[in-house]
Amino acid sequence: MSSTAPSGPALPQSPAGDGPVPVPARPPGRGGGRGAQSDGARARQRRENLVAAGFIAPSLLGFGVFYFWPTLRGLYFSLTDFDFFSAPAFVGLANYQRLLEDPTFWNAMRVTLLYVAINIGVQTVLALAIAVLMHRLTQSTFVRSVVVMPYLVANVVVALVFFWMLDAQIGIVNQALAGVGLDPVAFFGDEAWVIPTIALVNVWRHMGYTALLLFAGLQMIPGHLYEAARTDGASEWRMFWSITLPLLRPVLAVVLVITMIGSFQVFDTVAVTAAGGPADASRVLQYYIFDLAFQRLDYGYASAVSVVLLLILMAVAVVQLRLTRANESDLG
Amino acid sequence: MAVTTEPSRPAADDTPTGTAGGGGADPGGRVRPRRRPRPTAGRVLAWTALVGIMAITLFPFYWMLRTALSDGSVLATQPSSLLPVEPTTGAFERVFGLATTEEAQAQGGSGAAISFWRYLLNSVLVATVITAGQVVFGAMAAYAFARMRWPGRDAVFFLFLTALMVPPIFTQLPNFLLMRDLGLLNTYPAIILPFFFMTPFAIFFLRQFFLGISSEVEEAARLDGSGHVGTFVRIIVPMSWGPITTLALLQYVLAWNEYFWPLLVGSAQDVRVLTVALGIFRSQTPQGTPDWAGLMAATLVAALPVLLLFAVTSRKIVNSIGFSGIK
Amino acid sequence: MTRRRTPGRAARAAAAGTALGLLVAGCGTTSEVGEGGWEETGTLTYWMWDSAQLPAYQQCAEQFEADNPDVDVVIEQFGWDDYWDKLFTAFVSNSAPDVFVDHTSRYADYATRGLLQPLDDLVERDGVDLSVYVEGTTDLWVGPDGSRYGLPKDFDTVGVFYNAEMMADAGYAPEDLWELDWNPEDGGSYEELIARLTVDRNGVRGDEPGFDKTSVATYGLALEGAGEGFGQTEWSMYTGATGWTHTDQPLWGTEYQYDDPRFQATIAWWRGLVDKGYMPPLAQTVGGSVDQQLQADRYAMATQGSWNINNLTRLQGIELGTFPTPVGPSGERAAMFNSLADSISTSSPRKGAAWAWVKHLGTVECQSVVARGGVVLPARTEVVAEAEQTLAATGVDIKAFTVHVEEGTTIPVPITENGAEVNAIMGPAMDRVVGSTAPVESLVEANERVNRLFGTADPQ
Repeated sequence: MSSTAPSGPALPQSPAGDGPVPVPARPPGRGGGRGAQSDGARARQRRENLVAAGFIAPSLLGFGVFYFWPTLRGLYFSLTDFDFFSAPAFVGLANYQRLLEDPTFWNAMRVTLLYVAINIGVQTVLALAIAVLMHRLTQSTFVRSVVVMPYLVANVVVALVFFWMLDAQIGIVNQALAGVGLDPVAFFGDEAWVIPTIALVNVWRHMGYTALLLFAGLQMIPGHLYEAARTDGASEWRMFWSITLPLLRPVLAVVLVITMIGSFQVFDTVAVTAAGGPADASRVLQYYIFDLAFQRLDYGYASAVSVVLLLILMAVAVVQLRLTRANESDLG
Repeated sequence: MAVTTEPSRPAADDTPTGTAGGGGADPGGRVRPRRRPRPTAGRVLAWTALVGIMAITLFPFYWMLRTALSDGSVLATQPSSLLPVEPTTGAFERVFGLATTEEAQAQGGSGAAISFWRYLLNSVLVATVITAGQVVFGAMAAYAFARMRWPGRDAVFFLFLTALMVPPIFTQLPNFLLMRDLGLLNTYPAIILPFFFMTPFAIFFLRQFFLGISSEVEEAARLDGSGHVGTFVRIIVPMSWGPITTLALLQYVLAWNEYFWPLLVGSAQDVRVLTVALGIFRSQTPQGTPDWAGLMAATLVAALPVLLLFAVTSRKIVNSIGFSGIK
Repeated sequence: MTRRRTPGRAARAAAAGTALGLLVAGCGTTSEVGEGGWEETGTLTYWMWDSAQLPAYQQCAEQFEADNPDVDVVIEQFGWDDYWDKLFTAFVSNSAPDVFVDHTSRYADYATRGLLQPLDDLVERDGVDLSVYVEGTTDLWVGPDGSRYGLPKDFDTVGVFYNAEMMADAGYAPEDLWELDWNPEDGGSYEELIARLTVDRNGVRGDEPGFDKTSVATYGLALEGAGEGFGQTEWSMYTGATGWTHTDQPLWGTEYQYDDPRFQATIAWWRGLVDKGYMPPLAQTVGGSVDQQLQADRYAMATQGSWNINNLTRLQGIELGTFPTPVGPSGERAAMFNSLADSISTSSPRKGAAWAWVKHLGTVECQSVVARGGVVLPARTEVVAEAEQTLAATGVDIKAFTVHVEEGTTIPVPITENGAEVNAIMGPAMDRVVGSTAPVESLVEANERVNRLFGTADPQ
């Protein structure tokens, strides 16, 4: 997918520069200097490769040891009946076959997708709104500190706080609902409410954090663009669509990929609150995997489900990156 | 392409009517009096929304405080009281290990022993080292991905990207076994190592910012005879100080809140971090009813250092992030 | 505290669920189970989950170390959910504690994988007298292979807790409560009591005309959950009183009987309490724990385990009484009976010392310390009285729990293999039935799926 020689579409902002051959006075239209490489250029490239290797080495080490190798093992175990305590026997694709016929798996898939849709949909809109509000209204550190506060509290604890506040009988939210004459809502106990509730709890925790990431991106947008637009009499609304959103797109894409991948992996909040219930209504994929592997010691099958989750996430990332073209400058 | 770090903004910006930020390169300098936008309907609406969001954000914190200051054993009797129920600082005393077992149990706690300051120190140490590693190594890798050209770059980047997608459930146990085989269980390195060298997020995040930096900047540096190392250290890093600080803070929070891994490999008393210690308030309590008061107090106490850190650094972020003329 | 719940349920609770999942991860080496060794000295690691009992066991450890100067006992304690995760990981990594507190619903998984040391030879060699234990406790710890995997440390049964003030208002005297009967058709005098204790927001009782079941202030009976496959504190006291048993034989059965008409009729009656407004809808029970609701006057009564006495009586603002579960169609009461035990890891290098410690935990010396701790009922018959005294000081009538042991009306906790799988099927199935999204008859199909695990499903 990549080669040493510059390849692929030469995009205006190719960030890698055209490293190999520095041309003293670079003409505005790049792409000059892509001619035959001299011996000196090759030597320079070799040196550059070495330097790059140095830059990348620590990360590569961490990746290999703590991500790559365990993942390979997981792949292997998905083809076995491994149960932790006896030697794994190779079973071919049996686990994957079982998965196709497992109603609990398909239910988990449906529940997870519902969760992601609500979580990401609401969260992205809110985070963008907060980021833009902060960006356009105030530079106040106080405001920024407030909105990011939920993220500073551990996941599990956030889940607990809401579990406590949303209790069907003595939670403050239902007390308030009763105060205005509404029936109590079993936020975590009602099959219809449980996933939206969990999704929104996580929106509460992450929206400020996401907004902060987007805000950092907004800060990179040159202010004079707004000044100019204002001079032209553009409204805030119009500036949002014509300046903010297009220029924010690369950062937005990154943030979307990351939040969505995180969203697919929802676990803590479920484990602490509804624990898969009522009647599988909150049995998201990651919780199902946990249940299979840990409670039922069915590690081989749990690995197969994990592999499927991994594949879904990769597909999501690829599709998203393509759609938003955030990577056009290098992965293309 | 002057890279100028903007001076602090005038205080007026902190007021509701302040000029919209957004880099606010104000060519006229500070001489020209800033136009204060009239409070149009739109602005009022926008402020209402922002204040509303802040209220929603803050209320659970108030509820934590209210619960923390209540007597856990009678908490359920007045569920709708907006003030603490039979106010007491007992929950905080439990957190700091000042209460006796009997006192703790009388208030619905567990009475298990807690050496708060030790755990705090461990947490600070672990989170600091992890963050340092992630930021330094992450920035290096991000630079190599964003601003250098080398064989296999895109392939490696794609691989790293997939690491982001590996469900943690997939990797944690092999990593645990590795730590055991290295004889590192119940040591700081065991808690730190898997996070230390790389987190896909840091690389992904910084790379994206590095991509946004105009190549003219570094070419100029190159002309001055800087190699990649020099460019990285003297140009790229200082220019990206805002994102880097942001990232560092976020990763610090992440490391600080990490629970299961340290529980797995570092539950021994002398390396136990705060989150693991706080588990005491969660599941050690009778009959699965969390010691809500103790738990909320503990949560507040555990979050406090991070909140303070944020309060301190956020100002720095604000001031260092406002570049002008990068593009 | 001793949460003796079934595993799936446990995973939720204390919140602890936590990040725990992370654990399972991807896995690792095929860890062969270590052979262990028989050293008599060294540092022993002992794990337990109940912090309320930690002081008592600390004291036992001091006694033991005084007698065995060559052995140090290090007690480590983790909350219920973390406990099983840690233990699991420890087994996987061959770093399990030498001795640990074990639960009936869990040990089969470990025993069948060779992780627990069979104690039969040791019991025989040292002539350990198993008759000193409360009847039934030792049997629970004989595994499917006939080997013994733990020595009992305590036992528990189930009874009914009630709000004394509400009970007096309803016109019942404490002694009346011992005479209640129950049947799955009309609920008998037990249901009359539940109806009487239920009060709507207008102050109308559940057995009075004009009762508004859509606006209940106090439910006559608490609901904690659908009970998964065991129903330990939820419905087993009713199903048991019909003569029904979970499985074809008391321990290590291979065929579940959720398709039995007696079981289904009982569950239908129980769920009916929700429709009548006497018990809260299942949806509302997620989150709030029973003790909080009792305290908030939302419940008048609750069926709970004896391990909860200490916790419930400590609740401030309400006075609680207890009575035994009602007599059913079988002519007897029923209460599920369970026992915790100390197990030794196969991989322990110092199983000699471990065994000595386990024996010490069963001595009168240590057991009476546990008894005086006032949290659980100790497994040794001769110190039960001591525990009763301690618990009596809290004002609770412990007889409501021990009467089952005296009269032989206990039903053993249904231990089978595939315990986790059974609950994975029965948990959601019971949720649907009690949550009224599926008919009781749907349990026939669930039963089939369960029995397929054992290869004993009826061919269709």
